Amino acid sequence: MPPPIRLNGWRVARPVHRRPGSPQKSIPIYHPHPTRTFSTPPSPSLSSTVSADEISHFNALASSWWDPHGPSRILHLMNPLRHDFIRRCRGSVAPAPCGSQLSYLDIGCGGGIFAESAARLPRTQRVLGIDPSPSVISVARAHARRDPLLSSKLAYANVSIESLPPPSPSLGKSPSLGKKREGEGGGTYDVVSVFEVLEHVSQPAAFLRHCAPYVKPGGWLVLSTMARTWMSWLTTIVAAEEVLRIVPRGTHDWRKYIDEGELRGHFLSTGEGYWTETRCMGVVYVPGLGWKEVEGSEKIGNYFFAVRRNPES
Amino acid sequence: MDGSLLYGRHLRRPIARLCRSCSNRLGPRLVRSYASASGAEPDIYDVVCVGGGPAGLSLLTALRANPSTAGLRVALVEAQDLRKLRAWKLPPDRYSNRCSSLTPASARFLDQIGAWSHVQRDRVQPYHEMQVWDGLTDAHIEFDWASTSSSSGGAGPRTIAYMTENLNLTSGLLKRLDELGNTTIFDGARVENITLGEETEELDLREWPVVHLAGGKQLTARLLVGADGANSPVRAFAGIDSKGWDYERHGVVATLELEGNGWGGDDTKIAYQRFLPTGPVAMLPLPGNYATLVWSTTPSRAALLKSLPAKEFIALVNAAFRLSTVDLAYMHTQSSGQADELAWRLQHTRFDAHSVPQTVTGVQEGTVASFPLRMRHADTYIGQRVALVGDAAHTVHPLAGQGLNQGQGDAESLARTLAYAADHGQDIGVKMTLEPYAAERYAANHVLLGVVDKLHKLYAVQSGPLVPLRSWGLSAVNAMGPLKGFFMRQAAGERMKLF
Repeated sequence: MPPPIRLNGWRVARPVHRRPGSPQKSIPIYHPHPTRTFSTPPSPSLSSTVSADEISHFNALASSWWDPHGPSRILHLMNPLRHDFIRRCRGSVAPAPCGSQLSYLDIGCGGGIFAESAARLPRTQRVLGIDPSPSVISVARAHARRDPLLSSKLAYANVSIESLPPPSPSLGKSPSLGKKREGEGGGTYDVVSVFEVLEHVSQPAAFLRHCAPYVKPGGWLVLSTMARTWMSWLTTIVAAEEVLRIVPRGTHDWRKYIDEGELRGHFLSTGEGYWTETRCMGVVYVPGLGWKEVEGSEKIGNYFFAVRRNPES
Repeated sequence: MDGSLLYGRHLRRPIARLCRSCSNRLGPRLVRSYASASGAEPDIYDVVCVGGGPAGLSLLTALRANPSTAGLRVALVEAQDLRKLRAWKLPPDRYSNRCSSLTPASARFLDQIGAWSHVQRDRVQPYHEMQVWDGLTDAHIEFDWASTSSSSGGAGPRTIAYMTENLNLTSGLLKRLDELGNTTIFDGARVENITLGEETEELDLREWPVVHLAGGKQLTARLLVGADGANSPVRAFAGIDSKGWDYERHGVVATLELEGNGWGGDDTKIAYQRFLPTGPVAMLPLPGNYATLVWSTTPSRAALLKSLPAKEFIALVNAAFRLSTVDLAYMHTQSSGQADELAWRLQHTRFDAHSVPQTVTGVQEGTVASFPLRMRHADTYIGQRVALVGDAAHTVHPLAGQGLNQGQGDAESLARTLAYAADHGQDIGVKMTLEPYAAERYAANHVLLGVVDKLHKLYAVQSGPLVPLRSWGLSAVNAMGPLKGFFMRQAAGERMKLF
C-alpha cells in the first residue's frame, strides 16, 4: 500500500473548531495560514472523491437550479464567461481545422447550466454531463427536454468521475471509435470541464487525476474555483452566504478553496509531459453589473484555470 | 401609388382574434393548445417576429446579417401582402405622407446591417439646422452645429437627421432581407391565436408560444417577438400591460410643395417646429422644394384641416408658422376663406421671413391624413420566450420625431443581445437571456417618453407663470452652446449616458 502523497505544500488540514450546536451553519473561522488536504486516503473510497454531505446539499438545491432569480442565479450569470475563457484557451494555441466539431465532458454538471449551453453551440458535436447527485441529474434531464435542440447532442449520467467507464488509450486518437463508446461515457473529449466543483471535493488531487485521462491529446481541462484568501472568505462566505444571501448558506466550505498556484503546481508536477501550458483568468462579481474579468484577481477570489494535455502524450 | 396611403402603421397591424379578457383572466400559462394533438411534429423556429414594420424588419435583417445569429431559423408574420412593399415606387415628384426623421445613430445601424444602401437615397433628405420657437412669446432657439462650435470639424454642415419616407425605409429593409435569404415569410397572414405548446414524451414545450395563422398553419417559437404595433396581440398574449394616456390630439400629416428649395438651399436644409397651445406644428424638409408636415392639434381642428380644399388648407399651414395664436384660432372658426383672411392678416403681422419656412404653395393630392396621438409604455419588454420592440413596447408623442428611432434602437439592442446569447450557448428565448435588452432599452425609452410628454404639456399651457419661464428657458438654452449641443446630440440619437 503506497503512503499518502503530499505535493506542493498542500498539507493535511488542521482540525477546525466549530461552534457547538450548529456545526454546518456557523461561519468557518478564517485561518491566516490555511491548509488544504491533498492526501489520497490509504484505501480510497471507490464511489467518489465528493463527500456525501456535499451531494445531499446539492440534492436539496436541485428544484431551484433553473430559477433565474433563485440561488443559482449567480452561476447562470457566470456561464457566458466560461465560454469566453474556453474560446480564449483554444484560440491561444494552433487553431483547430476549420469546421471541426468539439466534444465536452462536464464533470459535476449540476442542473446542466454549462452542459446545455455547450450543446447549443453550433460547433459542438456532443456533450456528456455527469454528477453524483441523482436529484440534480433528474432536474438536468427534465430541463433538457424543454429545448428540442439538445436531445441529439446532450446526454447525462448520474455517476461520479470514478465510476465513469475509463477511456481506452486507443480511443483518444480515433473519433469513430470514440463515437461507438458514447453511450457508455467512455472516450476522450476536447474539453473536460470542472466548474465550481473543486471547492466541494474532499481530495482534489485524486479527483483531478481521475479527470485527466478523459482529456483528448491537445484538449483542455478547464475548471473554475476560488482562491483561499481572506477576501474570498469575506466575499463568498460572509457576504454572499451570510449577509446578502445570494448563495445558499452552507454551499461553500472556505477551507476547501484552492489557490491558483497550488493548481498550477499540481499539474506541472503530475505525469511526465502529460500536461503542457496553463491559462488563468480572474473574475469578480459586481452586484448589479454581473461578472467582470479583473486581471490579477485569481490571487484573491473566483478564477478560471485551464491546462492543456500535451498533443503528443 | 395612392396605395401608399393605406400603409399607415395603425392600419396594417395584424388583427388577432385573441380573447384578451380570457387570456388575462387565465394567465398565459393556462392557455394551452389541444387543437393540434393530431401528432404532427411542431414547426419550430428560433425567432418568430409578428409584424413587418420598421422595427420588426430591422430586427430580422440584423439577425440575418450577423454571422452569430445567421444560423437561427427565423420567420416573419405580416398582415399585409408584402408584394406591394417590394414593388413600392413613386415618381420623383411624389412623396408619401408618412415620413420619419432618422437619426444618424439609426442610419449607422441600418448601414451596419446592409439595409441603408437599399433605401432610395435620392428620396432621403438630410437636414442640418432646426428652428424651434414658442408660438405665444416667439422665444427662439436655433439648432445648427456651427453655433455649438465643438467637434463639427469636417467640411460641410453636419447632419442632424435624415428625413425618410417610412415606406422607403421598410421597402429597403425588405429588399435587404430578401437578399440575405433564409427568412420564412408569411405575409398576408392573420394571427388567429397565440397559445402555448404541449408536452410529449420527448419534449416539454409548455412554455413555447405557438402562433396560429388563419388557414391552420402553426409556428412554434423559441422566441416570439412582438413588433406588432400599439395594439400588440403578442403583448396581450404575454399578459404585459401597457400604461399611458391619450393626448386628445391628432397628428395631421401632408406632403407640401414650397416656393423654393429652402432658405439654406440644398446644402443646408432646415427643420422648423413651432409650439402652439394646441400642440407643435412641424415642417421637415424633403428633397427639392418638398416638405412634410406634422401638425399636432385638437381632433376638431384636425377634422377641419382634412375637410378644407387645398387652397384653404395651404393658407392655414402658412398661418400656423406666421400668425399669432389668436389669429390662428380665429381662422379655424372660418368654414372657408382662409386664404383671403391670411393675405389680409399678413399685412398686419411682423415676422422675419427667413426665420419661418418658405411659403407653402401646394399640397399633394390625397396626402392629408391624421392619426390620434398617444403615450404608452409597456410594463416590461420581455417575458418568458417573448420580447417586444417598437410601438408594441412604447408609443411616443411625435414632437421629437423619435418614435421610429426608438424602434430601431430596440431592434439593434435585441439583435445584439441575441447574438451574445447565441455565441455563448444561451437559450435565446428565456427571460434571463433577454434581461440585458430590457435593461438597456427600458430606461432610455422611459426618459425619452417622459421628456417628450413633459414638453408637450409645458407648451400646452397658455397663461400663467409657466409661459414667461419656458420662454426664458428656451432663450437661455439658445444662448448656451454646450447645452444646445447636448440637446442636438439627443436629437441626433447619440446614446444617452445615464448610467
